[in-house]
Amino acid sequence: MPPLWAIIWLVLGGLYFLVPLYATAQFSFETGSHGLGTSSYLSVLQSQDFIHDFVFSLELAVGTVLLSSALMVPTVYWINLHIPQVRRVVEFISILPLVVPPVALAVGVAHFFSFVPTLLTNPIILVLAYVIITLPFSYRSLDAGMRAINFKVLTEAAQSLGASWWRIMLFVILPNIAASVLASSFLIVTIVMGEYTFASLLLFNTFPVYIEYVGQTSAHGAATLALISFALTWLAILGIAWIGSRIGIKQPSTTIGAR
Amino acid sequence: MEREELKGALSRRNFMVKATLAGVSLVGFGALSSFLEACGAAPSATTKGINWAKATSLEGRPLSELVSAAKKEGFLNVIALPPNWANYGTMISTFQKKYGIKVNSFAPDDSSAQENNALSSLRGTSKEPDAVDVGPSFAVAGKKEGLYAPYKVATWDTIPDYMKDPDSYWYGDYYGVISFGTNLKYVSNPPKDWSDLEKPEYKGKVSIDGDPRTAADAFAAVWAAALAMGGSLDDITPGIDFFAHLKKIGNLVPTDNYPANIVNGTTPIAIKWDYLNLGYKYQWNGNPPYEVTIPPSGVLGGYYCQAISAYAATPAAARLWEEFIYSDEGQIIYLAGFAHPARYEDLVRRNKIPASLAAKLPPASAYAKAQFPTLAQTAKAAAVVQAQWGPKVLGA
Amino acid sequence: MSVVTEQKAVSVKPRGQEKIRFRLPSAAILGVLPFFAYVAILLVVPTLYLVVGAFQSQSGGFTIQNVTELLQSQYLNAYLTSVEVSGITAVVGALFGLFVAAAAISEGIPRWIRQLLSTFSGVAANFAGIPLAFAFIATLGLNGVATILLKDMGLDIYKMGFTLFSLAGLSITYIYFQLPLMILVILPTLDGLRKEWHEAAANLGASRLQFWLHIGLPILMPSFLASLVLLFGNAFSAYATPYALTSGYLNIVTVLIGSVLNGNVTASPQLGDALAFGMIVIVAATMFVYGILQRRAERWLRR
Repeated sequence: MPPLWAIIWLVLGGLYFLVPLYATAQFSFETGSHGLGTSSYLSVLQSQDFIHDFVFSLELAVGTVLLSSALMVPTVYWINLHIPQVRRVVEFISILPLVVPPVALAVGVAHFFSFVPTLLTNPIILVLAYVIITLPFSYRSLDAGMRAINFKVLTEAAQSLGASWWRIMLFVILPNIAASVLASSFLIVTIVMGEYTFASLLLFNTFPVYIEYVGQTSAHGAATLALISFALTWLAILGIAWIGSRIGIKQPSTTIGAR
Repeated sequence: MEREELKGALSRRNFMVKATLAGVSLVGFGALSSFLEACGAAPSATTKGINWAKATSLEGRPLSELVSAAKKEGFLNVIALPPNWANYGTMISTFQKKYGIKVNSFAPDDSSAQENNALSSLRGTSKEPDAVDVGPSFAVAGKKEGLYAPYKVATWDTIPDYMKDPDSYWYGDYYGVISFGTNLKYVSNPPKDWSDLEKPEYKGKVSIDGDPRTAADAFAAVWAAALAMGGSLDDITPGIDFFAHLKKIGNLVPTDNYPANIVNGTTPIAIKWDYLNLGYKYQWNGNPPYEVTIPPSGVLGGYYCQAISAYAATPAAARLWEEFIYSDEGQIIYLAGFAHPARYEDLVRRNKIPASLAAKLPPASAYAKAQFPTLAQTAKAAAVVQAQWGPKVLGA
Repeated sequence: MSVVTEQKAVSVKPRGQEKIRFRLPSAAILGVLPFFAYVAILLVVPTLYLVVGAFQSQSGGFTIQNVTELLQSQYLNAYLTSVEVSGITAVVGALFGLFVAAAAISEGIPRWIRQLLSTFSGVAANFAGIPLAFAFIATLGLNGVATILLKDMGLDIYKMGFTLFSLAGLSITYIYFQLPLMILVILPTLDGLRKEWHEAAANLGASRLQFWLHIGLPILMPSFLASLVLLFGNAFSAYATPYALTSGYLNIVTVLIGSVLNGNVTASPQLGDALAFGMIVIVAATMFVYGILQRRAERWLRR
């Protein structure tokens, strides 16, 4: 029997999350003077732009997850293992993307890459930028996960068995922080699916750009889109989680001794 | 505006290159871009000796030459043109159909500043907008920063002088006046004039289109109120005071009057450009019932300006676009979107306005008293708003 | 290289760091080189561009006028409001998130609840901008679902002076992405609090309170503090949501920057840069305070 306090908090959390969604749903179904219908949904889902932009954002999200993981997992591991002194610097850097307004960042990046104009119109620039924008979250998540496992002992054990750095990272460390990597991926996917400023400044048509546009011009469209985007992004996350469970990602396994 | 214009018919751009094939795409893009860039302007912009990128008018050539040059370029980049704003949806789709040139419409809700920024950030790329539609003070700024190329459309002389740059770097395309739109589902007795807004029955119901320090629409609303409250084109302070008063008595809802907010009753009285309010009225078609009035005691006119990008990705197409907008056909498309085209007087004089369209518009008398500020007056008023709106209205 | 210089600066104060090697094998620097290079190009350079711009006048010369202009009441007020909202929602979000996360993994709660919570949080953490604003207008607006429900129950919140378009309303809206962010970030740490430790402590005769005081909280504290900072930064930099909800009626720094850089009426990029520079300064200050608190927490942990 779960403790009472746990039930209370879960109920409070659930209510807070679900009531606004319900309110949005109710508005999205209002199509006329008193009627309720799905006309708003039909017109949105049939829109070519909707499908195009959603898929585009999804692709950007996947690209960002891959690039970010490839960059951050080794970095976090390395910092924790060899140069913890650098932690303060890295922490400050990791908070920086939160404070540099995306507007300023985009202008700066556009200026910097103006000598390679082809890069600016290629979606890859968004992936590069999104790795930065998601840095606070990916770093935090991976770092917390890394510190929660006994990476020193694991590393030494693996080294004593003759494993190279890559093997250690891929087959010893990564599986143990898999839950953090997954959490970081969730965050990245949702951040990318919700990032508006950078994409709109470089005139890319991503899903959030599409939503903002519909919200400013259509009466019920915003509410409808809000729910659809919520549901679809959630499905994307569930997909990742399912893949994770298929590969066998569990909670961080019990380690040898306390921290 | 019919809903159909929002769906399907409008093609918004798509430069979708799969990120997973980034390597291939980079090569592909490199090839395409360098092709376009290597010659400064696309080689197809030159027809029989005329380089359209440098042309400052049709220069005596028949329109058909411009059309074929534009067709060779293959596409047109436009920016900040929402389909249901002054009927741009129809403008774009008609242009596409008529000339068979694909229109890439980017960032529909960008502001004038963002449009000018895009011209410099994306210079040299294939996404460089070909033309912009900006507020007058941004048109002036853009000319100063060298973002535009001068061009006189065929119908140049019939554009009113006060609406265009003498050096032809920018030119007014349409204008509107500030109006009241009322969602009758939430307000049964719509306000008719500025002083009505202070009535207690409108508590928590009045709204403007955002922050007047940033949105031209909201800025014009404050100015129109100033005209009604004893101010003038040289004095916007009474307008600021009026809205400060509305906020204090609780009549002003401190949020933007997006269509969704109008419909859900958050901002049932929406002070906006007439072409926006009228567009909603016909789009919603009674559902909800929406009434639009032009308050007689303070009528402020505002126009937007066209300009061609100095580094247009497709210069011939850019010029063809302008010729189209300023043709009778283009100007009437604006009017069908309830935005008075720059050449309105000329069209009226030559009896070019369809009677059915004229019937849908508010009576001409409502516009007779419209006052249009000069650029100097706008700059001065903007500075006043920047300084006073925060302290007086927000209390900060 | 800057990495080595930083390292030297830190090593001057070796408090509690006896175990860590001072001399840096060059291979170790190589390991983090990709990260620093990436960050240098895509983050540091644009930021420097911004900082330089903050001290540039319209004609290009050096000036501190942009920055001193920030001390004007309307800009100062914007910073205060932003800090206030960010602080409140960081603390509330962190505590709310901590309790909900802890609840989700406590004994007796089925496993799927944790999974549901974590995936939902992943999505909700980025539900922002117009959709979120509309969701809360539909909930707590004048004709909102919750408003009407409360009115039916006899509680007319609008008559009592509440409005969604206020600091309180904005904070309530912000929590919608602060709460899930906290949950996502604290769950891995909570996992780290091994069940075995609870049992071991209990076996040794410790009460619940003693467990939390001597084991649980000390281990949790560094991550909790770090999450607070993250939440603060997240709220501080929010732009789309306050813009969609209050459209400039509430003086928030990010909205102000947006209006300065993107406005339809006037444009002054240097002021925008200065405002952004101010934001960076505030966050740097926060990091500094966090650093102090962090050291405190780590000392507590060491005992």
